[in-house]
Amino acid sequence: MSVLRTQMRGVARRPTRLLLTGLAVLVVSFVVYASVLAQQITERSVLNGLSGTPEAVDLVVRNGDISTKTAAAIGQVPGVAEAVARIDAGGMVGTDDYLQLQSDPGSGPLALATVTQGRYPQKAGEIAVTPRTAERMSLALGQTVSVQLRYSEDGKPLPPTRVTVVGLVKARDDYGFQAYAPTSAVIAMTGVGQASRVELRYAPGAEGVQDRVTAIAKGAEVATGADVRLEEAEAKASGVNAVFAVIAMFVAIAVVAAGLVATSTFRIMFAQRMRQLALLRAVGAGRGSITRSLAAEGALTGLVTGLAGVLIALGLGHLLPVVTGWFGFKISSPGFPVPAALGTVALAVLITVLAVLAPAASAARVSPLEALRSSGTTGSRRDIGALRWVTGLVLAAGAGLAAAYVINGLPGRDPKDYDPTPMLFAVVGSGALAFFALVALGPVLVRPVLALLGAPIRRSGPVGRLAAGGVGAAPRRAAAVSVVVALGVTLIAGALVGGASIRVLAEREAAASAPADYEVTGEDLASMPVALVDKLRDRRELTHVTPYRRITTKIGNVEGLTAVDLTMGSLPELDKLDVTAGSVKDLKPGSAVISGFTAETTGLGVGDKITLVAGKRSGTFTIAARLPDSGPLGSAVVLDPGDLTKLGAPATYSGVLADAAESGEKGRTDGKRAIDESVAGAGFHTDVLADQRDQIDEQLTLLLVIALGLIGLTVAIAVVGVGTTTALSVVERVRESGVLRAVGLSQGGLRAMLTAESALYGVIGAAIGLVLGVPYALLAVKALGVNAPLAVPVGQLAVVFVVLIALTALAGVLPARKAAKVSPVAALGTE
Amino acid sequence: MQTPVLPDTMAAVAAVDLTKVYGHGDTAVRALDGVTVGFARAQFTAIMGPSGSGKSTLMHCLAGLDTATSGQALLGGTDLTKQSDKVLTKVRRERIGFVFQAFNLLPQLTAAQNITLPLELAGRKPDRHLYTHLTETLGITGRLDHRPGELSGGQQQRVALARALVSRPEVVFADEPTGNLDSRSGAEVLLFLRNSVRELGQTIVMVTHDPGAAAYADRVVLLADGRVAGEIDRPDTASVTDALQGLAAAR
Repeated sequence: MSVLRTQMRGVARRPTRLLLTGLAVLVVSFVVYASVLAQQITERSVLNGLSGTPEAVDLVVRNGDISTKTAAAIGQVPGVAEAVARIDAGGMVGTDDYLQLQSDPGSGPLALATVTQGRYPQKAGEIAVTPRTAERMSLALGQTVSVQLRYSEDGKPLPPTRVTVVGLVKARDDYGFQAYAPTSAVIAMTGVGQASRVELRYAPGAEGVQDRVTAIAKGAEVATGADVRLEEAEAKASGVNAVFAVIAMFVAIAVVAAGLVATSTFRIMFAQRMRQLALLRAVGAGRGSITRSLAAEGALTGLVTGLAGVLIALGLGHLLPVVTGWFGFKISSPGFPVPAALGTVALAVLITVLAVLAPAASAARVSPLEALRSSGTTGSRRDIGALRWVTGLVLAAGAGLAAAYVINGLPGRDPKDYDPTPMLFAVVGSGALAFFALVALGPVLVRPVLALLGAPIRRSGPVGRLAAGGVGAAPRRAAAVSVVVALGVTLIAGALVGGASIRVLAEREAAASAPADYEVTGEDLASMPVALVDKLRDRRELTHVTPYRRITTKIGNVEGLTAVDLTMGSLPELDKLDVTAGSVKDLKPGSAVISGFTAETTGLGVGDKITLVAGKRSGTFTIAARLPDSGPLGSAVVLDPGDLTKLGAPATYSGVLADAAESGEKGRTDGKRAIDESVAGAGFHTDVLADQRDQIDEQLTLLLVIALGLIGLTVAIAVVGVGTTTALSVVERVRESGVLRAVGLSQGGLRAMLTAESALYGVIGAAIGLVLGVPYALLAVKALGVNAPLAVPVGQLAVVFVVLIALTALAGVLPARKAAKVSPVAALGTE
Repeated sequence: MQTPVLPDTMAAVAAVDLTKVYGHGDTAVRALDGVTVGFARAQFTAIMGPSGSGKSTLMHCLAGLDTATSGQALLGGTDLTKQSDKVLTKVRRERIGFVFQAFNLLPQLTAAQNITLPLELAGRKPDRHLYTHLTETLGITGRLDHRPGELSGGQQQRVALARALVSRPEVVFADEPTGNLDSRSGAEVLLFLRNSVRELGQTIVMVTHDPGAAAYADRVVLLADGRVAGEIDRPDTASVTDALQGLAAAR
């Protein structure tokens, strides 16, 4: 107990040290609780007042054949106070606007709509609209419009229905095209014979209503209102929850990272107190009591930092609605989820206690003789124990085996019935094993990596050599913090490589469906005269103007396959096409390029002969290349123009593809204008295919940015770890700083040295992370079985490397400044 | 007892009315109280005095490690009390050598790297001849590739001596250089210091409280309560012990 008291007195004397030790835990507690609050805010904001079914509904009949007659019968069932048949109809107003017509009583407990102005419709020909609808469709009270509500048996439109707006209603849904009317009026106006559902309310004291209703509503489902409301709420929440499940996964990784950082910090802390601990041992403290007191200190650190993290998150969570309120956005307050707060603090304590155990046990093993040692430098071990070697090697072997399993089972070019899930799990499992192997073997890896990558900084001069030496002198410490940086970089590298590979895949697919910036086609499949193509070719704003013809052919027994005569070499975008076998460059008279679908239905491959029949003509061609999916422009076969003519294709074109001559937004606009001017007056339709391509691109980028943002949590923890390590190292090595200053290192030099050390942690971590992340990402992409090419975005990875080093250097700036300010005399005087 | 002499202008390093006060008001401590003393070139001077007499503070001020409250600390013609940290840094690495009680070698560097560190920081190449001479005389030629952790205390202090002298500094300051050594290693270090004064013309100022160590010096300056309390030319152990006892009795 007295040992514990001594330790706690030490903590009380330097409370900031406690915060510094637990900074990573503080950050992660903040992140954990902040995500809980974010989920609260989102759920409350999204779900607030959005229960689709009114509270008063006791029973719902749905999901089935509910005729309006059945609906009426349900209303007559004894014990039913009120029943509303919900009918959803609608029609076009004019040519552009769609008006949705919903049935609603307009008053009473089952009403979804309540009148705010005018009156509620009573008979056919009357409707009430929502305010936004009135505004968007410029409908005023009393105005009459024609709505195309009725269709004949065979789907022909009947004369439109004239309806008058008699009221404005406030309703559940208001998207700008909602109208309401009583059920009977809706039936009368639309002639609809089916209700989507019937909602009903029991009379007070009614019993057995559900059974009686079930008997009537044959073929439909009968559920209680409470169940339906819960279901609807869950459906709405599930989207939110899925998002937060993904976030939770990344937060969990950040928690692991924080645990590793905390372990490392405790190790440094205890190493600094080695003499004090040895003294306690020398005066008779037992190992057990020292371990316990250090563990208690860890638990206290977890408690304090966890609490601090939770409070900061809580503060920000409650500040957010206020601040967004100033800017006119209304979001819900997160409240104070107490169980989650307690859970977060408990998690923080758990992480720190787990983190502190190993360092505390090894610190307690200190020999009492250590107290008598004069040298300030407590010998830091450079090697690792046998157990750690074995653990590390076993983990590495496990990672290797899992990776080998994946490599062995990698799908071929065209996998059939391939399930990527177990393979992806194996990749992730292998990656996790490799990471923990790295944690175990880190200290022995640091020096070789440092020798390799530290060379430039070592050669930069004495300051660089001192920094490299400083990192190399404590390889365990360097490993502990670099490994966390490596975790972040591995995830980033994985995301970038995966993203780049998927992007190339998407580009290939886009190349087939949208091989050029523009496509001009005749309306209703009208053909395009040759003169128009020449006109387009004359425009400076356009390039690669490529006309094509398309005919329908029969191959074997399959009819309706399209053949095009697109010149494969004419559009640069077509170079991105993925080819399963052969080469599209070999397309010449007498040969054909076939789609994957064609290859599958005919069973033909490259070099085989394929016979196409078009009307009375036919031709046989040698297959020059096979594409994996569909051919360009969704074709089944690509032929030489001469061959297509022989098959009876007309001299006029089916369409024209073209690229903008200039890149960028302006080039694209100019190209579009050039086409519009050229085809002016004629019935042609222009598609800007480039926009489709850009859209896919933007979506991929957005996904990648979100992933990187979430990985950023781990990176933030890693940077905090580097900062803490540097700060603690500086405290420990204040004497060394003093010596360096005494023998003539300037303040700037000392700052540079300590900052460089901090950056070296980043260098080591980023290098290991890249070495680990890139191959694993490539493996994962292969294991997906989507035939994605392997793309390594070297530029982006280089940026990650540089940014990470800059961040870690930045983390060292503050401690370095502080250390450089200490006077040499004071530094030399400290023990 | 002799009265303190004014420093002659040829002194390598000198203090003129040097005062250093720690703290403020009631808690203020005058560590140095108007010390005026000179240390001649190519001479081995020991500063002695009881604990708290200000001998370490005097050395720190003269070496540009600490700032003075008033007065001058002259190195050559430069008043170190008026210099910026930048200039002091340059002074320390080019014109001053240090030997500490705790050796203070950098653990991450080898012995050889430790020795040449101040020169490298100054961007200068070590004088190969001097380097070889020093390492041979100190008997550390075989230990140059070892890190401090692998050296004995005596060996570490000899590496520190080589580090202090290899840049041919104007003055070497030694702060209790034998405090952490056994008597044999201590004697070797003191002999080396004395020989470097004789052979290389090195100026050495050593702070010690060991009369035996002081006996190796050419001259002893006695300090008490932040003031110069006397000096002894060509001291021996007995005369120094007597003088110290006299100081203790006077308090």
